[in-house]
Amino acid sequence: MSGLFKSYNYLLHGMAICAGITISVAVLLIIIDVLMRIVSLDPFLFILTTVEYSLLWFTMLAAPYLVRIKGHVFIDAVTQFLPPRIKRIVAKIVYLLCIIASLVYCYHLVLLLMEAIESGEIDMRSFEIPMWILFAPMPPCFLMCAMEFGRFLIGIDDMYDQTIAERENV
Amino acid sequence: MEWYWALCTLIGMVIFFMAMGIPVAFTFILTNLIGVMIFYGDTVGWIQIADNSTQLITRFTLGPVPIFIMMGALFFHTGLAIRVFNGLDVLFGKLPGRLCFLTVAGGSIFSTLTGSSMANTAMLGSLMVPEMQKRGYNSRMSMGPILGTGGLAMIIPPSALGVLLASVANIDVGRLLVAGFLPGFLLAALYAIMIYGQLKIWPESAPAYEIEMPPMAERIKLICINILPMSLIVFMVVGFIILGWATPTEAAAFGVFGVVILAGAFRVLTFRAIFTSVEATVKVAAMVFFIIMSSTVFSQLLAYSGASAGLLKWAAGFDLSKYWILLIMFVILILLGMFMDATSMMLITVPIFFPLAQNLGFDLIWFGLFVLMTFEMAGTTPPFGLLLYVMLGVAPKGTTLYQVASAAFPFLVCDAILILILVAFPALALWLPGLM
Repeated sequence: MSGLFKSYNYLLHGMAICAGITISVAVLLIIIDVLMRIVSLDPFLFILTTVEYSLLWFTMLAAPYLVRIKGHVFIDAVTQFLPPRIKRIVAKIVYLLCIIASLVYCYHLVLLLMEAIESGEIDMRSFEIPMWILFAPMPPCFLMCAMEFGRFLIGIDDMYDQTIAERENV
Repeated sequence: MEWYWALCTLIGMVIFFMAMGIPVAFTFILTNLIGVMIFYGDTVGWIQIADNSTQLITRFTLGPVPIFIMMGALFFHTGLAIRVFNGLDVLFGKLPGRLCFLTVAGGSIFSTLTGSSMANTAMLGSLMVPEMQKRGYNSRMSMGPILGTGGLAMIIPPSALGVLLASVANIDVGRLLVAGFLPGFLLAALYAIMIYGQLKIWPESAPAYEIEMPPMAERIKLICINILPMSLIVFMVVGFIILGWATPTEAAAFGVFGVVILAGAFRVLTFRAIFTSVEATVKVAAMVFFIIMSSTVFSQLLAYSGASAGLLKWAAGFDLSKYWILLIMFVILILLGMFMDATSMMLITVPIFFPLAQNLGFDLIWFGLFVLMTFEMAGTTPPFGLLLYVMLGVAPKGTTLYQVASAAFPFLVCDAILILILVAFPALALWLPGLM
């Protein structure tokens, strides 16, 4: 069981590292694109679409990691004034709602992914790309977000134990 | 359902979920799910929400957001930003309140480098407050200029929030960024005038002190090494956009390229600096993008429910000057900003305010800048302005929120003056974009 948790943790952090690599490669591709234009070469058609897709992949790959490190911004202007017991109950309701929202999204994204694979639909941008690539990262990432909120729900960690500066990644 | 009930239901749900402490991104997801059930009458539309959520986030125009954040992070983590301060430090000599002026000048340049008001306030706060306290500056003079200047990053290009606003509001990213250039530096000048005025009234609040000035040749050398190269990168980024040589996304990527080369030249480009910068980019940009992804459907729901159209019709029926409506929008943003961060405010208000502003005949680029200015003010408005808390986090122990908020107040007055100037002379914002 602990091996499973360890592998899951590696996956979570590995995905965050992939998010960093994705956005860095996107920056590199844009630079190459502009440099090619400057030296009057025809830029690669795939660059624009790849960068557009990378924005989604980068966001999704980092999403579960952000839940883990409590990096998703929230407002505690009201809840901070609640008595500790009520605050804990509200927190549990919050985690539960987030799990439900993530799972509903996950389920419908699986349907969209399967439909995209079966229909062989193509996304027509500057470069034609199979539609399933757009949806591919989303179901597992939403599922992992639900699992991360599950960690908070069962009390392994608390999402609300950070200062505002930590929450805002400053 | 009548439009006002639809509006109250959707906005009310967002505010209720946010007040519960649900992360903003998940607030929008939940509102979308429930909103679809209410307005479509079933859950069949949920698949449409999931499908539509990818629309905005896969736009090339959003590209500058993570790239500007990466550029700022590289400036910060390689230590190039501190060099700018060191360069400016020698310029001010024995001027009374020199550290306040240094904050405004350094903060304005750092704003152009980072595009993040949070990072700007945190860096200026941790760097300048201890030094100011050591030199006998009181809390008003040590924290006020930092809070004012910290928010400049929202206006002075390249502003990550500006890119976000332009993308969400569907206006030209480059024009909005460039529109903030002159007003941003005018605001910095207003801050300097405010500091000068405060020093005239309370000279003891920032006592002058003896410093050893390097010879003139050494000073020129320091400026050439520490300020000019960084300024060149910023002018390259902004200049490329104004001249139309590159899109904002491409200009931003070149900004990163420039910083990497510069850091390499200064021999400060370490693996650790790169890793930390990419990590910061992932943390901030992915969080913002996840919110954007979740909120895309929210504006569609506002339109589908008839809330947006109903509100527009209602507002048009009033015999009020457009400036009164502008004032009402300003007050709503300031009130929301007391409790929310700028991104959340933006996503709630843009689908309503921008069509309204267009209907009233405001230039949307000008209005975008007005909204950014208001966000800046809202960030320093008590009781929950985020910049106040960032400052509180880096201020010496024992500093109270009241001290921080009262230090920020004179600079909020400067912001208000700039907004009035922008209302009276829209050309101040629109002249540069007009050249594009």
